[in-house]
Amino acid sequence: MLKTPDSVAGEELRERLSAFDDDAFTGERRSLALERFFTTPSGRQRPGPYWKIDIETLSPSPPSIAKASGSVLIDNSNARLIACDLATAAREHPALLGRALGATRVQATKFGALATAFQNAGVFVYVPADAATDEPVVITYNAPDGASLFPYTIVLAERGARATVVERLEGGAEAFVCGATEIVTGEGAEITYAGCQQLAASARVVQTRAALPGRDASVAWACAELGAGLTITDLSVAIERPGAEARITALFFPKGSQHVDVVSTVDHVVGESTSQTIVKSAAVDDGQARYLGNIRIAPRAQGSDASLRDDALLLSARAHIDSVPALEIGANDVKAFHGATVGALDADQIFYMETRGIERNAAERMIALGFFEPAIAHFPTDALRAVIRTALAAKFS
Amino acid sequence: MSEPGLRIVDLHCRVAGKEILKGIDLAVEPGKVHALMGPNGSGKSTLAFSLTGHPQYEITQGSARLDGEDLLALAPDKRARAGLFLSFQYPAAIPGIKVANFLHAARQAVRPGDLAPAKFRALLMEKMDVLGMDPSFMGRYLNDGFSGGEKKRLEMLQLAVLAPKYAVLDETDSGLDVDALKDVCDSLTALRAGDEGRGAGFLIITHYPRILQYITPDVVHVMIDGRIVMTGGHDLADRIEREGYDTIREEIAAIA
Ligand SMILES: Nc1ncnc2c1ncn2[C@@H]1O[C@H](COP(=O)(O)OP(=O)(O)OP(=O)(O)O)[C@@H](O)[C@H]1O
Ligand SMILES: [Mg+2]
Repeated sequence: MLKTPDSVAGEELRERLSAFDDDAFTGERRSLALERFFTTPSGRQRPGPYWKIDIETLSPSPPSIAKASGSVLIDNSNARLIACDLATAAREHPALLGRALGATRVQATKFGALATAFQNAGVFVYVPADAATDEPVVITYNAPDGASLFPYTIVLAERGARATVVERLEGGAEAFVCGATEIVTGEGAEITYAGCQQLAASARVVQTRAALPGRDASVAWACAELGAGLTITDLSVAIERPGAEARITALFFPKGSQHVDVVSTVDHVVGESTSQTIVKSAAVDDGQARYLGNIRIAPRAQGSDASLRDDALLLSARAHIDSVPALEIGANDVKAFHGATVGALDADQIFYMETRGIERNAAERMIALGFFEPAIAHFPTDALRAVIRTALAAKFS
Repeated sequence: MSEPGLRIVDLHCRVAGKEILKGIDLAVEPGKVHALMGPNGSGKSTLAFSLTGHPQYEITQGSARLDGEDLLALAPDKRARAGLFLSFQYPAAIPGIKVANFLHAARQAVRPGDLAPAKFRALLMEKMDVLGMDPSFMGRYLNDGFSGGEKKRLEMLQLAVLAPKYAVLDETDSGLDVDALKDVCDSLTALRAGDEGRGAGFLIITHYPRILQYITPDVVHVMIDGRIVMTGGHDLADRIEREGYDTIREEIAAIA
């Protein structure tokens, strides 16, 4: 039974879409996507009775939707790379764009479909064969207050290409952000995509990100969910070519009444592939979080090597973090590791620091920040790591 | 004026509902070295934790003063700032905190703003050199993946960097190879000879006379079952090495 949105709101959303008959995406792609949004379940159970938000009925308010919304800044110093907005890409590189757009599972998901329907911001990054750069492409999406932003980011990397993309998401008091990201690579490519979300505390954000690495290619997602009142993130890698590697890193730290719900999925469809998932989270005050870590190894994916490490730190009595690892292993010749902890700060560690003259509060802050370091290490650039550390430290003020 | 020294009077301590320390009297004067020996489980580490304020160690009676200041009234960090240091028998590992950052935070806490960063780095390098520590330790996480001996060296580095007025060394010598023990003792000697460490008092908890050959104790105490049952000179350590604790136990029983 269709739960969201109710039929009146649904009609309003359809009406809104009539203004979107354009350039980057065809009107048909958009309207089909909107219908998929209506009919596709989110697949997310409510984590528990303490969780105040129903994900199934989550929807933007129709009046907040406009075709032109927000701002996109693209910082690219690599002459060999293409990094442009989606409308430009559709005009100037339609064939390249067509190879990646919709190639992953993103558009089949409920919120990926919504992001497709109303896409009103977006960037296309193209990395030609054997192009390798250390300078990341930095994309900054800024959500206007009270508006709805639907950023759609596409990365297409050819054989042997190596690049890093950093996505910053900012602004957006009372905003609704529904984004999609797709990464498609050729053989032996190496792509790192880091997301740093620092929306205003009154914003809501839903992100659906999926990657499809080529043979012997490597894709890394690193996502820091630092802002927004409600954060829903879906990170996935489908390994359909042998020798590919997936690395997923996520960190989040709900404070006040922030809610965070992260799902990561690595599908080892074929064997001789590796994946490493690392999630570090903390919650304080009434912060709520749920992490669902899926590792699926198909029956024919012999020789897969998957690890999932998930640690959660509870810094107040009312904070919740639910961690749910879900390993489905269909093959027998595989390596699969899973380790998880949920707990408070370690009393012996605090005492040790206190005996060195460090005040209890400062000791707790240092230990909690240190707890995130193994995840922070997977984010690219000193500048981004510094931004993340500063945002985490601010959670203690 | 109160009397200088680390002065422990009739100290009783309960741990997990059980009385472990049953009236400890001990006074370490500035510049003096005391050794504390005793069988496993006699309460040596409990005394160290009682002095530093471990939350699980409940003081039920007695007092402990550092140069007149009531230690028992202070939070653990304030005790450190008053000039007390403990070298842990089993130091905690804290992943995510780099040794260099930790040492800097500790030095800042104990001796606020007294060293510019460059000077601090120079100080670290000098102390590490004495301890035979590779500079790469600075970039590692605190005690994370450290070998037993490396942890003890890092405790001694902290001691050298913080230069407290009184230091309790809880089995710093245990588990050290011959070279490491020599490095540790060189570091202690350098500290005691330097400006910051001159006049520091030491309480060295140990099972072996080995360390006491490098750092000659002024006094040796023997703790058995939560009490100091014998106090003597350097030769007491040698006697324990030769005879174990049985003859001391018999002697005490005969007196009682
Ligand atoms: N946290 C605790 N919970 C329960 N018992 C404890 C605790 N700490 C110490 N004890 C007990 O107190 C007694 C004294 O322990 P302590 O560690 O002080 O001995 P020690 O003299 O340092 O021994 P060792 O030479 O083996 O280090 C032991 O019986 C020990 O089991
Ligand atoms: Mg002990």
